Amino acid sequence: MHALITYIDINLATALQVVLLGFIGGILSGFIGSGGAFFMTPGMMNLGVDGVIAVASNITHKFGKAMVGSRKHAAAGNVDKKLAAFMLITAIVGIQIAVAINSYLFKGGGGGHGAGGGAGANLYISLVFATILSTVAISMLRDVLRSGNGDDDSGPSMKIAEFFSRLNLPPVINFPVADTKVSLWVLMVGGISTGYLAGTIGVGGFIGVPAMIYVFGVPTAVATGTELFLALFMGAYGAISYAYQGFVDIRLTMLLYLGSLIGIHLGVYGVKVVNEKYIRLVTSVIILLCVFSRIIAMPVYLRQLGFISFPAEYDRFFNFGSKFFLFASGISGALVILARVVHAYRQRRKIQKTLLIQRQTNIDITGLEETA
Amino acid sequence: MALVMISSLYQGGREDLARELAAKTGWPTLSREELLESAKEEGIKVGRLEMSLIKRPSSSEKLAREKKLYLAFITVNLCRKALEGNLIYSGRAGHLMLPGCHKLRVGLSAPLDIRTKRTAKALNMEMEQAENYLAQLDEDIDRWIRQTHHASGQDPTKFDIFINLENMSVHNAAETLHAISQLPEYQGTLSSTRVLEDLYLSAQAELKLIMDERTTGADLRVKADTGFISVTYPPHQEHFKQLIPEVLSGLEGCREIHCTMAATNILWVQELFDPKSENFHHIMQLAQRWGAAVELMRLVSPSEPLDERGAVDMEYDFGRWDCPEIDDGGVEDDDPLVVINDGGLSTTIEELIDKGRCGGGVSICGGYDKILERVQGDGDYALVVVGDMFLSKGKSTRTRRTRELTMNIRDRLKAPVITADELESKFMFGKRQAVNLVGYSVAVVLLYYLVFTHQDQVSAFLSGPLHEKAKWLAPLVIFMFIPVIAYLYGAVTGLALKLINID
Repeated sequence: MHALITYIDINLATALQVVLLGFIGGILSGFIGSGGAFFMTPGMMNLGVDGVIAVASNITHKFGKAMVGSRKHAAAGNVDKKLAAFMLITAIVGIQIAVAINSYLFKGGGGGHGAGGGAGANLYISLVFATILSTVAISMLRDVLRSGNGDDDSGPSMKIAEFFSRLNLPPVINFPVADTKVSLWVLMVGGISTGYLAGTIGVGGFIGVPAMIYVFGVPTAVATGTELFLALFMGAYGAISYAYQGFVDIRLTMLLYLGSLIGIHLGVYGVKVVNEKYIRLVTSVIILLCVFSRIIAMPVYLRQLGFISFPAEYDRFFNFGSKFFLFASGISGALVILARVVHAYRQRRKIQKTLLIQRQTNIDITGLEETA
Repeated sequence: MALVMISSLYQGGREDLARELAAKTGWPTLSREELLESAKEEGIKVGRLEMSLIKRPSSSEKLAREKKLYLAFITVNLCRKALEGNLIYSGRAGHLMLPGCHKLRVGLSAPLDIRTKRTAKALNMEMEQAENYLAQLDEDIDRWIRQTHHASGQDPTKFDIFINLENMSVHNAAETLHAISQLPEYQGTLSSTRVLEDLYLSAQAELKLIMDERTTGADLRVKADTGFISVTYPPHQEHFKQLIPEVLSGLEGCREIHCTMAATNILWVQELFDPKSENFHHIMQLAQRWGAAVELMRLVSPSEPLDERGAVDMEYDFGRWDCPEIDDGGVEDDDPLVVINDGGLSTTIEELIDKGRCGGGVSICGGYDKILERVQGDGDYALVVVGDMFLSKGKSTRTRRTRELTMNIRDRLKAPVITADELESKFMFGKRQAVNLVGYSVAVVLLYYLVFTHQDQVSAFLSGPLHEKAKWLAPLVIFMFIPVIAYLYGAVTGLALKLINID
């Protein structure tokens, strides 16, 4: 099997591009609160990394990052370990399903039809990616536009929450930290979906966090903390499973860290200085552009699999288009966030300076009065 | 002046008990239902807020504002009535209202079958329907209380007395409450009345700011201390700075308004404050770096002479600790010659105002439960710093007790809690951090160098022939290596950003 797995050659230019992917992914991750995989996974695929290797390297990257992040959330009391344990058991089933499908498609897909050894897996990952993330982005965008019109806060998600709370399928489990009761069956569906998506496209948090908030009724801070705690174990399990299959390229993981761990600090800082509506708007636009970028890349995989035909030299146009939209969305999003961060940083310095001058003036005036 | 706060579930007998006690004492009553009527008249959509908080506990800005408005409204009305004299309040969570004030917190339980019969009669339902309705309602009420007051409505530690009406009549329960409310522990003192006045002023200010169309969309945090109102606003809402004093102008009891731009809040708990101290210097550095407002909480030492028993160590005594009358937590301007010992609170607040980092200040008496009572509803603390405490004790006792206090607060408050001693090592950039930065950086460079100068061997190990021979080895190495690199490089970036004041 090892003959099929080929890691890309990493020269300085490629390394810098992966670091940049990590940096932008980190900024978006800190700003949006997701893992940033929606940007980094397709970004690596655009650099020629097989989809399954991109997912595996990213899930490994997520494991280490979650370990650092979940400690902070645990200190703030935002982790419901009981809920995380239930989610983990079911999520492992989901990850296992994802790893099995990805490995199967990687071994079989595209080998006999085109150049890409992992074209089948690439197409499958791209399709899941586009379907899930476009749904998330569109509903997020609709929420922003509704609140902009001054409508009520409640959206379609309210109906989902009410439906599940009425369902009340036994056995129902109580989670004291999250202050909620959830049916074991609902938990299983939520956990398996989260694990499946984490294993397939590396973005389990996009499903896990909303599921916990809207379906399970968990407070937002606890949902985020618990998801990060869960991501630590899911990431570890995913990393081990993929590493056993030989799909983890540790060099990519290390390069992603170089950028992401700086970017994440800047993204988190950005959240403090930008309002919630703006955050949701930027997030949904970036995700939609990432989805569009993935859709542009799909004809290449379809050609490699023999479903459509066009000259192979056209591949580079599709790849370029896909890469362009991905980097355009990531870079413009990161620039918008960075601009806000720099603006806030300068504003803070300016205010501190003004205060110091004001204070100095007060001291001078007091001094004069005393002299007089 | 007695405040009796009676809490029970729906049809739990709170109105009957309040009426009976009022008939006996002649004290005025106020019920949750009356407050809700007034709130609805003011245009506050309490029903919608209840449904949103119970069924969809997400934290949208709009929902948070509506919750603030509701809490400010009921606090204003409760305080206004309470300041007039005695008051009997009956509601779902009256015992959690007016934190820090003297009050008799009464929990009331009634037999379920009586509650069911009463519900069936009141709502014209079948008994079975009423029972199911009550079960769902009790659950919803508990969730509502958790969402609005950040505490369980049934937590026995939040009550002074819990009465079960299964064997006791309402008449006798009222007799009992009347007797208890006469005890000195439940009588108002100068300091507890001042807490009530502060709550009244801050709730009034908050209400005014939310109701005024110029500031209605602002995310403000309001604190009041003896007539001084501190308002903090987030950096992206700087335009509200000019409007806040305009909106609050003419507010009765307000002597001064301070507006602070703050991305977050730091709570500093200490016995005695000094703006020249090292703790102040460290906290200011951190506040400036984070753009945070610093809120001071002076915890009066339990070993200070508190009553006629003199310098008795009351730490192991049961009962209320109250601030000594001389320690009034603020500065009275009626007589400028009187020197008031407020433990350096006012001078430190002045220094914070000068530096634009003031988040208000308050004096409280008691242990960690009192700290929690005052801050639990507020939330939103990026950090809680427990400074120099138990000053009358020896060094080792002081260290132990401070550590215990920190752990108790940490267990119950959803915020990072550290001691002032840990502040430097965790948040400041000093010599130790510089050494760590260099050490971790060297380790990171070495690891990256080793991996990237041996790419072929690494690839062969992870997916090539070597991997085929021992498949289990790659996952094992990944599992051990990745946390190390994440930790080391995470520490390097964290320290580097700390060095340039971004964290």
